[in-house]
Amino acid sequence: MRRKMSSKKLDIKQKNATSKTNKRTKEGKARGRAPFLFLAPAIIIVFAVLIFPILFSLVVSTYNWPLSEGAGIRRFVGFGNYLALTQDSEFWNSLKLQLGFIFIAIPIELLFGFAAALLLNREFFGARIVRSLLLLPVFFLPILSGMTWRFMLQPRYGPLNNLLIKLGAPEISWLGNPTTAYIAIIVQDVWRMWPFMFMLLYAGLTAIPQELLEAAEIDGAGFWKKLWSVIIPLLMPTILTSVLLRIIDALRVFSEVYVMTEGGPGSATMLFSLYTQRQAFGYQKVGMASAMAIFLLIISIVFALTLVRKNMSLDVLEEKAGA
Amino acid sequence: MDRRSRRRKRTRKFLINLVVAVVAFVILAIELYPIAITVLNGFRRDIHILSGQPFKLSQLTLRSYQLVLKNAGFRIGMRNSIVVGLLSTFISLLVGAMASYGIARFKFKGRNSLAYSFLVLRMLPQVSLVIALYLMFSDIGLRDTISGLTLAHTSFNVPYVIWLLLPFFTAVDRAYEEAAMVDGCTRQGVFFRIFLPIVAPGLVVGAVFAFLNSWNEFMYALILTGVKAKTAPVAINGLLGGETLTWGQACAAGTIMLIPVFIFTLGMQKFLIRGITAGGVKG
Repeated sequence: MRRKMSSKKLDIKQKNATSKTNKRTKEGKARGRAPFLFLAPAIIIVFAVLIFPILFSLVVSTYNWPLSEGAGIRRFVGFGNYLALTQDSEFWNSLKLQLGFIFIAIPIELLFGFAAALLLNREFFGARIVRSLLLLPVFFLPILSGMTWRFMLQPRYGPLNNLLIKLGAPEISWLGNPTTAYIAIIVQDVWRMWPFMFMLLYAGLTAIPQELLEAAEIDGAGFWKKLWSVIIPLLMPTILTSVLLRIIDALRVFSEVYVMTEGGPGSATMLFSLYTQRQAFGYQKVGMASAMAIFLLIISIVFALTLVRKNMSLDVLEEKAGA
Repeated sequence: MDRRSRRRKRTRKFLINLVVAVVAFVILAIELYPIAITVLNGFRRDIHILSGQPFKLSQLTLRSYQLVLKNAGFRIGMRNSIVVGLLSTFISLLVGAMASYGIARFKFKGRNSLAYSFLVLRMLPQVSLVIALYLMFSDIGLRDTISGLTLAHTSFNVPYVIWLLLPFFTAVDRAYEEAAMVDGCTRQGVFFRIFLPIVAPGLVVGAVFAFLNSWNEFMYALILTGVKAKTAPVAINGLLGGETLTWGQACAAGTIMLIPVFIFTLGMQKFLIRGITAGGVKG
C-alpha cells in the first residue's frame, strides 16, 4: 500500500514537471477564490445563526425589552440592565449556585475518573466490556438523566427512599428540600460525567510509554512515587484539557436540571441558564435576560479561548499529516 | 528458586486482576443502575411503579409502549426529531465538510483565526443565543417550524462538524487530489468526486455525532417550538409535567430515544473521544 502511494507520488512529480507551465496560470487564479468558495456557506450560516444573534443580544441587552406587548414599553436603557443585575439577589444566587456546581462537581468527577483510569488500565477479565459500558451515562440523553434522577429521588416510591424505608430510616424529600435538591443535581452530574473524565484520562494514560513506568520501578519507585513523579506530570495536559472541557460544558447546564427540578424548590437549583430562561420567558424581561446571556457568553469565550490557545490543534494536525 | 518466585509473582498478578475485575463490575453495576431502572420502568405499569414495590418479572408489560406510541404528542415529537436530526445533519455535513476542506487544504490570510473562531463558537452556551433566536424567529415566522429548529441546530452542528472532520481531512495524502487536478479536474470536482469518497469513514462519524447532537438537544426545542415542531425530548418532558406523573410512558419513550444513541455509541468506540471533544483535544 505504502509503496503504491509513493510510486504514485513520483508519477505526479514527473507529470508536474512536464505540465508545469500551463498549470500554473490556471491555478494561480483559482487559488485566490477557492478557499472562499469552500468556506462561504459555513461563514454565511455561522453569521446568520451565531454572530448575528450575539450582536442582536448585545443590542437587546441595552433595552428594557418586554417579551409581549402587555408587559411594558420597549425603551433604551444603556447599561441599565447590567446595573440592575448587580442589584438582583436572584442573579447573585444563580451565579453562586452555578459556580458551586462547577467547583464541586468537576473536582469529584476528575478524582473518580482518574482513580478509575488508574484502576482499569490493565488487562483483567471483562476489561473491554467494562471500559466501554462505563461510557454509556455520558451519552445518556441529558433530559433522561434528569428524569431518571427525579424518579430515583421521589418520595414513597422512589428507589432511594424505598431503601431508606426498608432500612427503617425516615424517608427524605430529596427534591423538596433546598440543600438536598442542590446536592442531587450535583450527584446527577457526577454520575453522568465522571466517565467522561475517565475516558479522556484513560486514553492519556495508555499513551504513556511503558518503559518510563518500568524505569521508575527499577529505580525503586513505589506506586505513590510513580504516580506523583511520572504519571501526573505526564498526564497534566490531558487533565487540564478535560477540566476545561467540563467547565465549558458545565457553564451551559440546562436540560438535566430543568427536567429534574425546574430550578426549585424555590430557587435552590436555579443555575445560571435556568435563571436566564426564567427572566426571558417567565418574567418576560428579555433585556435583562440578554444582559445575563452576554455575561455568560463572555465567561464562556474566555474559557474556550484558553482551551483553544492551549491546544492549538490545527498545527498539531498538520504536523501529524506531514509526518 | 527463580521459577518459584516467578510463579508466586504470577499468582499475585492473577489475584490482583481478580480483585480489579470484581471492583470494576461493581462500579459498572452502580453506574448502569439508573439507566436500567429507566428501561425497566418502561415495561411496567404505572400502578406498580407508583406503589414502590420491587421489580417483578411477572409484571412485565408492553402497555406503556402501546400508550406512548399512540400518544399524538410523542408521535409528532418523534417525527420532528427524526426530520430535524436528518436535515440538520445533512446541511451541517455538507457545509461543514466544505469548510473543513477549505481549512485543511488552503493557506490564506486569517486561516488560523477563522478555524479557531469556529472552535470557540462551538462552545458557546445555548442560552446565550436562544433569546435572540427566539426574537428573530418570531419576526420572520420561523418560530415553531421545522426549518427554524433545523437552522438553530445547525448553529452548533456546523462548527462541530468542521472540527470533527479536520483530523480526517488533514490525514489524506494530497497526492490524490494533485493527480486529479493534473488530469484537468476542477477544485470543486476534486472535492466532490475524489476527496469525499476517500474520507467517507470520517463523514459517517461526522453524520452520526451530528445527528446525536440534534437528537439529544432540548433547550432550543423547548423554547423555539410550541406544538407543531416540538421534538421528542420536549414531548417526554411534557409527559412528566401533567397532573399525574406517567412514569411508565415517559420511560418507554425515553427508552425508544435511547436506542439509536446506544447503538451508535457502542458501534463507534474508536471515535468516541473525537466525537465528544471535536477539536477540543489534540490530534
